[in-house]
Amino acid sequence: MKALEVRNISKMFPGNLANDNISFSVEKGEIFAIVGENGAGKSTLMNIIYGIYTPTAGEIYVNEQKARIRSAEDAIQLHMGMVHQEFMLIPRFTVAQNIVVGDEPRKGIFFDYTRAVREVKELSDKVSLTVDATAITGDLPVGIQQRVEILKVLRRGAEILIFDEPTAVLTPEETQELFVTMRKLQSQGKTILFISHKLKEVMDIADRIAVLRRGKLQGIVNKKDTNEEELARMMVGRNVVLEIPKVEASVGPVAFSCHDLRVKNARGMETVKDVSFDVRGGEIVGIAGVQGNGQDELVNAMIGFTRPTSGSMELNGKSMRLVTTAELRRQGMSYITEDRARRGLVMPYTVRDNSVMGQHLNAPFSKGLRMDYNKIAEFAEGKVKEYDIRPGDVLDTAGSLSGGNQQKLILARELSLPHNFLIASQPTRGLDVGATEFVYRKLLEEKKSGKAILLISLELSEILGLSDRILVMFEGHIVGETTPDKTTEEALGLLMLGVGVDRKVVS
Amino acid sequence: MSESNGTNKFLKAFGIDSQSRRRRDPLNVWVPLISIGLALVVGMIVIAVSGRNPFRAYALLFGDSGLIPGGSAWPREFAELLIKSAMYIATGLAIALAFKGGLFNIGAEGQFWVGAIVATFFGYWSPVAGAFGSMATALGSMAWIAQLLHGAICIILGMLAGGAWAAFAGFLYVKRGVNIVIGTIMLNWIAWFLITNWLVTGPMTPPTQTFTSGTYYVADTAKLFRIMMPTRLNTSIILVLLAAYATWFLLYKTTIGYEIRAIGHTANIGMEAPRAQGINVNRRIVQMMFFSGCLAALGGCFFILGMQYQFPNTATMGYGWTGIGVALIGQSEPIGVVLAGLFIGALRTGATSMQVANIPKTFSNIIEGLAVGFIALQVAVRYYLVKFLQRRRAHADPPAEQEAAA
Repeated sequence: MKALEVRNISKMFPGNLANDNISFSVEKGEIFAIVGENGAGKSTLMNIIYGIYTPTAGEIYVNEQKARIRSAEDAIQLHMGMVHQEFMLIPRFTVAQNIVVGDEPRKGIFFDYTRAVREVKELSDKVSLTVDATAITGDLPVGIQQRVEILKVLRRGAEILIFDEPTAVLTPEETQELFVTMRKLQSQGKTILFISHKLKEVMDIADRIAVLRRGKLQGIVNKKDTNEEELARMMVGRNVVLEIPKVEASVGPVAFSCHDLRVKNARGMETVKDVSFDVRGGEIVGIAGVQGNGQDELVNAMIGFTRPTSGSMELNGKSMRLVTTAELRRQGMSYITEDRARRGLVMPYTVRDNSVMGQHLNAPFSKGLRMDYNKIAEFAEGKVKEYDIRPGDVLDTAGSLSGGNQQKLILARELSLPHNFLIASQPTRGLDVGATEFVYRKLLEEKKSGKAILLISLELSEILGLSDRILVMFEGHIVGETTPDKTTEEALGLLMLGVGVDRKVVS
Repeated sequence: MSESNGTNKFLKAFGIDSQSRRRRDPLNVWVPLISIGLALVVGMIVIAVSGRNPFRAYALLFGDSGLIPGGSAWPREFAELLIKSAMYIATGLAIALAFKGGLFNIGAEGQFWVGAIVATFFGYWSPVAGAFGSMATALGSMAWIAQLLHGAICIILGMLAGGAWAAFAGFLYVKRGVNIVIGTIMLNWIAWFLITNWLVTGPMTPPTQTFTSGTYYVADTAKLFRIMMPTRLNTSIILVLLAAYATWFLLYKTTIGYEIRAIGHTANIGMEAPRAQGINVNRRIVQMMFFSGCLAALGGCFFILGMQYQFPNTATMGYGWTGIGVALIGQSEPIGVVLAGLFIGALRTGATSMQVANIPKTFSNIIEGLAVGFIALQVAVRYYLVKFLQRRRAHADPPAEQEAAA
């Protein structure tokens, strides 16, 4: 039986056909993946199915009945449920409270918490998804929070579950656990729509895969009849070199070094412990590690956001003690952040205004106190062409660009600053294949021109493909140093999880 | 052709040229207009419910607001409108500037009065007043130079004091994490009680007068020029328009404004983006508060040097509070603040004559409050406006796919 069918769905936004005549059907009990680059129309399509957007044309059938879905409430009535990329959970609530919120068991007019806990326990036993019903949600790891979100959807009677990029926030192990969960749900007869741009994961979990490109359905393939390369070709419409070419560059003097660095996080816990390393011109030093092992705090200390509690850092031979971010940037530090929305760009600002932030005090962008927006627009237009930032109008706000184009804008800005040391913190997070390839190319160009690069990444293939030297960070320590030719993804993975690390060193 | 080139050059000299124009959101204009319209409609209902004739009330309110020329009373009403509006625009600009930087400077009230008292002091203090007095005598027919200089000194010192008062709240915010709303509101009361309970009734009161009479009067040389005799219209409206222009220029043409707006856009997410790009966020916040306080204090200077000529013991708070509404209706844009200030000024001017016809003055306050209330609901107004426009567009040209399907 077809659990869900969409026929000829189109969605027109002003100046942008986000979905162009899309039709497919999903069998009951199937895991159906929808892949595509950022901005290919995946989220639009899901939002149409879930009733958040009204399609410009087309029809939706649920259980072979024509459905009128005008709102998320309609979708829930039809036993659909969406597990959002960013969880809609209240951190201070317990797991049980979060799962029942909006449809709480009552005793008279009062909330019956005991029954809520009991119901949640029954539900989690029934679908064999283990959670601690009385734990405070905010204290749980992200993977468990996602499980809470899934339970919440199941409690409302969802038979069709939509997962919108569920793995974006997960560590590799949590991703594997999620897949176990998804298979469990499948075995219980649930239908799953899985949206992703990570081909490896899709090949792991899906039964059938639909590929979207620029709003059009490129094709639907069976998992067993395809492979990653074919999917990548369908997604971007050309052969993508996922292999990273080797670039040789002569190693120059030390650009950045730190010694016995200790840094505390916002809650006062020491999360960087006795870290020492240096980065030389013409080399890429990769820091591998599972998220939350001190990488963020290390970067914060390096860019002058927090002060280390002890140890020292030097940029181009000068001590960085008590130096401001502005001064570091003047002395040649550039910084690509994974957090484009908060840290990378001022989203309501235009492409033009974002393109010079940090060098806006330099000629020719300003003279004395006065900004020269004409010169800035010229500069921005040049960068938009050079980096192929789309849609290409410098008066568009940064927030209106897709993730890949936002990252291109950040690259354009950071690489045009006078610099010899570049911090690239998860530079391809959330990017599609095309944009990822672009970032790799730019980083290698940087290396070739003799810049020193520190690459922090959770993606092992990225670390192995780009780095000249690899440092592994675990619980705040550097627990290993190696080179790509002396290690493998498996060996690095074990080191990242602390396997084989001398426990005495770590504690 | 050559004429338009000349105009372009002229505009360019003031920083207005087509190349650097921003893309504007037409809703920024429609939302305040619709909110005012809704306020007027609901205001009518309120008046009608209270058993009075709303049309007569509005006829009196707007007829005597100074907005509509004509009648023998018009020049006086027009003058009153502009005098009042100048002060509201000043405090409105102060709050709008801080809004642009992501802060709610609710302390414009206190900064207004700090500016007023400092302007009063330098207006009458004999070393200054005496010097300009003798200068005026010496200059004879050129005495206006002395008046210009003395007035300018009073205004500049008043503005600096108001700016410093606000910058202190900014300093507490960046260095000690004191919430800007709490900090400025505390400083409001400190300023108000220091001034009214001590300075105005103590050290700044002439010994020969009773304690209820307020401070010394400022010297003639400190007073603002009158520009439309016999009304008391003075140069305050011109000065405040210059201030609005300066605020616009600061925000949209200078490096400081670029940084302030970047800070404002990211204020609720920790201002990390500007900080990571090397902007000194703390310094800019203190500077922005200083400029904001200067603007509010300018209004206080108008109050003294243009209207009262002393700090009266009967002064009541409200100019800074009104500025909040002005900034909100004006959508925090300098030009919008000017228009909103004129609107509020008109309501306040017309209210007095409405009272003559036995319609309580508070009705104009109700309309004002409603307008601000509808502005506060602007998310809703925007939502329905967009929906309405979409529906109209859908009716105007149905999508091709639907036609084809049919």
